[in-house]
Amino acid sequence: MSPATPGGRDARAAVIAALVVIVAIALLPMGAYVALALSWFVVITAGAYVGLSPLRLARRGAIALPFVLAAVPVIFLRTDELLWSGAVGPLDLTISGAGLRIALTAVLKAWVSVQASIVLITYVDAPTIVTALRRMRLPEAIATSAGLTIRYLELLRDEAKRMLRARTARSASPVGVGRERIGGSISWRARTTGNLVGSLFLRAYSRAQRIEEAAASRGATGSLSVGTLPAADPRLTLKVIGVVLLALFLTLCGALLPRL
Amino acid sequence: MHLPDGFLAPQLALALWAATALIVGISLRRLAASRDASGAAGRPILMGLVGAFIFAAQMFNFPVAAGTSGHLLGGVLAGYLLGPWAGTIVMTTVIGVQALLFQDGGLLALGANIFNMGIIGTLGGTLIARALALTLGDSRGARIAAAGFAGWLSVMAGAGITALQLGLSGTTDISVGLPAMLGVHVFIGVGEALITIAALTFIATTAPDLLNAEPTVRTSLARRVGAGAIATVVVITLATLFASADPDGLNYVAQALGFSHVEAGAPFNLFAGYAIPGLDGTASTIVAALIGAALIVGLILLLSRLAASRTGDQ
Repeated sequence: MSPATPGGRDARAAVIAALVVIVAIALLPMGAYVALALSWFVVITAGAYVGLSPLRLARRGAIALPFVLAAVPVIFLRTDELLWSGAVGPLDLTISGAGLRIALTAVLKAWVSVQASIVLITYVDAPTIVTALRRMRLPEAIATSAGLTIRYLELLRDEAKRMLRARTARSASPVGVGRERIGGSISWRARTTGNLVGSLFLRAYSRAQRIEEAAASRGATGSLSVGTLPAADPRLTLKVIGVVLLALFLTLCGALLPRL
Repeated sequence: MHLPDGFLAPQLALALWAATALIVGISLRRLAASRDASGAAGRPILMGLVGAFIFAAQMFNFPVAAGTSGHLLGGVLAGYLLGPWAGTIVMTTVIGVQALLFQDGGLLALGANIFNMGIIGTLGGTLIARALALTLGDSRGARIAAAGFAGWLSVMAGAGITALQLGLSGTTDISVGLPAMLGVHVFIGVGEALITIAALTFIATTAPDLLNAEPTVRTSLARRVGAGAIATVVVITLATLFASADPDGLNYVAQALGFSHVEAGAPFNLFAGYAIPGLDGTASTIVAALIGAALIVGLILLLSRLAASRTGDQ
């Protein structure tokens, strides 16, 4: 099945499912690797439903891994359940079993949770998620702001890319001169970058004015809310109950299955 | 600085969601009630475009030092250009879209990320920038310099609070995580400050009307005193909770070199060892610190009144 974008459909069930599964994963206790594996199985099954292979999903989930660095120190700083101690160069290091469990659980939880988010955004596009959140009583100002941010994001990013390309073109250096020699002091670089940022803001502001005038001339009131929301999912309650039961099952697995 | 899911204790993540919802709710009400800088309250299209602008502006970077690159986070810039309440809503949106669209930060951790970057960074940063600008004379240069400093502070505060949250969740050790996060973000904060100053200078030169539209908000004395009192209580409570029981530098050296016994006793013992008679432990330290803070404020007020009366005599 190819990745589906059910634009115009009520996506509340998908949004709630992703959130509930992520909360269930967060509630798993330390060292509940079997329950974490089950949670990952649930996520990759959902991923397969929207056309994402487990390998691709796992690779894209690696986006959360840089935060591993935050969890690494606890492996060496905890003093309980000592697994190993010794000298590495000038450092006296200890590896704690409890610390290792904390770090590994945090990293795996982050990795599986990110994959759940990836499945959601593959299944429904961003504007559909915003519409679903609007139906779930997300404040109008935030919903409108998010909708417009998503709508104009690519446009302004393209504008920024063009400005960056122009900066690179202006910063050509003779062959043999290292990149570290290009450009001036930090304050000079910051000023140049700040000018780009300021210029981009003025372009965004000017575009906003033009859009506002065009919208006002057509009688727009400033809100993006439309009268024709997609039809409500008739099986929403059933789906939510199913997802909550699944989350409860995962939580129970975390509590009852053996931990390492 | 975007926390992924799994790194925060669920209780803390939910508590931060609640705090974020409350403050964003207040921002929405304030935004609806007042047309702050550039009238953003009635301009949702502008707010959406500024959200997209913050995203795009984060692409611009330049090498700073120690292998870090300076790039814009944009909280204070958004708050400065749109006003603190609209800026907070825009940054809430940006951080939410980053989590939903790009998996930059988790969904359960979204409350914490909005709290750290959208509320502390944007709302806190912008209010600090305004207060600082007033103190410095409220000229255009003072406003921009204050925004730059607040930009640096917002990055440092966000990084520090993130490290504290990780420490409270047991994911990392605060004694390592806090200095590490602050150490790296010192340079990132410098980048934020420099870009904020340069961008605002550019806008002030090219389109001064956009910045001059910002009204200077002068809050009443009672409100300022109340805000200061609340901030003092929060800082003292937090500082006391994380205070080390180890001796300070001089005491440590005195004990190590064996001359601590030479210490002469004070002629009076009002709150010796920061202890209040009848109270034990942390509560005693907090009350003693609050009394100390109140005495210092009172002393400063007394001295300033004396100085003012002397100036009046001359």
